[in-house]
Amino acid sequence: MIAAVEGEVVTGRLESEGDWRFHARTVTKAFGDLLANDGITLQIRPGEVYGLLGPNGAGKTTLVKQIIGLLKPSSGELTLGPYDLIEDPDAARQLCSYLPQAQMPIDSFKARDVIRLTGMIRGGESGAVTARTNEMIEALDIGEWAETLGIKLSGGVKRLVGFAMVSVWPGRVVILDEPTNDVDPRRRRLLWEQVRRLGDLGSAVLLVTHNVLEAEKSVDRLAIINEGRLIAEGTPSSLKAEDRGRLRLQLMMVPGHPTPELPDFVQHHTRVGNNVMNVISEADATVGIGWAQELMARGVAEEYALGATTLEDVYIRLTGHTSSNGNATL
Amino acid sequence: MTSMATASIAVHPVRSGPAHWLQSYVHMTRWELGSLRLLLPLIVALQIVIGGGFALGIGLFFDEMPVRNALFLATGVAVVTLITVGIVMGPQLVSNHKVAGTYDFLWSLPVPRTTQAAAWLTVNTIIAIPGMVAALFIADWRYDLTLQVSPAIVPAVLLTIGTATLIGYAFAHAIPKPMITNMITQLLIFVILGFSPINFPPENLPGWLAAVNEWLPFQHMAAVIRAALTEGLVDNVGRSYVVLVVYTAISALVAAWVIGRRD
Repeated sequence: MIAAVEGEVVTGRLESEGDWRFHARTVTKAFGDLLANDGITLQIRPGEVYGLLGPNGAGKTTLVKQIIGLLKPSSGELTLGPYDLIEDPDAARQLCSYLPQAQMPIDSFKARDVIRLTGMIRGGESGAVTARTNEMIEALDIGEWAETLGIKLSGGVKRLVGFAMVSVWPGRVVILDEPTNDVDPRRRRLLWEQVRRLGDLGSAVLLVTHNVLEAEKSVDRLAIINEGRLIAEGTPSSLKAEDRGRLRLQLMMVPGHPTPELPDFVQHHTRVGNNVMNVISEADATVGIGWAQELMARGVAEEYALGATTLEDVYIRLTGHTSSNGNATL
Repeated sequence: MTSMATASIAVHPVRSGPAHWLQSYVHMTRWELGSLRLLLPLIVALQIVIGGGFALGIGLFFDEMPVRNALFLATGVAVVTLITVGIVMGPQLVSNHKVAGTYDFLWSLPVPRTTQAAAWLTVNTIIAIPGMVAALFIADWRYDLTLQVSPAIVPAVLLTIGTATLIGYAFAHAIPKPMITNMITQLLIFVILGFSPINFPPENLPGWLAAVNEWLPFQHMAAVIRAALTEGLVDNVGRSYVVLVVYTAISALVAAWVIGRRD
């Protein structure tokens, strides 16, 4: 099924078996004095959806740009199966497909045409690419825009077309940088199904995001990066293990009101805007509610919410940042 | 369909070699042409207006233009249209990509980078030729000229576009800031139009400036095209061809280096 052209020289030894794990080993990237990546080590297995989480400027995009050969590490190793991706950027581009965070340059293309053309560029055979194109269009429910020029598409639909472009003939590693930006909730679900499909097809998926809640539902494992360093790695539930038995008590302060003095049962807290997020023990739920109600009665807080801790709380604890929709949980 | 996709991932090879290059080149040319589809009619129309406008506008400096000057002008304007595509419009399109942040995707495509440069060159050639032909026709008609087109027009045009496009491509990629690129294109076109003997003979320039131009490609572009369209107006185009081949080769090498490097 591959697009083998007569006379083509195949340099890679590409049997379907073999170890096709992706490895980053102590990858360090310096821009002058700034260490954008500082000794990052991780591995992704074929079929795995791996999340790379971290606040803006944490070094996520820098890392993926090195995988795809757009940047060169200052030191460290990046390998995929038998290939050294740093030494052989041509192989890196053929083996990895990449959806960057920026919009795709598809203004002049009809959605269907550009998905198909990208599949051909990725080395797919014509008939199979056409079939896969139709399948992606259907799976993402973007059929009504299949013959529409990119310039007339909304940001969300453009994003879906971009996702289809990199997934139509996926590489062994598929890198998705914030794939769901601007996408409506229903199609977001369809997109996540297709991300999972990529794993089923045998690709290793590297999902870059700062949307922790979305990632929690979609990834097999994840790493949290902050200030260039990998500070935590594991499955979503293993990362939450430390927060087991804890609750999140979220207070919406009266706008501009300073954070009130926190009682001893608040284990840690973060303030974003007028939102104060407190992590408390399950045993303190009742006193916690009492405290929140008292703050409301004193006109300090406007409302409160008590719920289970999420990966978001782990993320906040580790990075000191909230994720993009830190407020959406209220 | 799933089985097809599964098969492809399982045995997807890393390709190389001439057949891969050629196939990638064809795909990237389709990509570049497709990317410009909305702009293409506008760009070609603009080229025709620039070429034709130039041919007509310069005529206003003269009550009656001598035939020799008119021939210089007509052939010079043709060269100007080719140069503007390569050195002004090309880099500005590259800048647009940079501003939009779309280069990361284009540069991540699994094709040899040189096929992207070659596709760019092909598309620039396609864009440039209608403007050049229109300029020649308009000048021909306005000044009542008779051009003697020789087969040398083919290499002359290709070398001119090749040099101009590759120079533009190399510096547009080498300079990180799109705004600087745009300022340089403005400056270049001003210098080229005003101080390179394209629309007039080199003798009209002060000695030192004529000497400088001997080593720049622009006057040689004009010489080879003029020689292919007229008789008796230029001699010794051999040196001009050599200069242009050298410029094309150097700019191709620089372009290949610029697009191949990783920070």
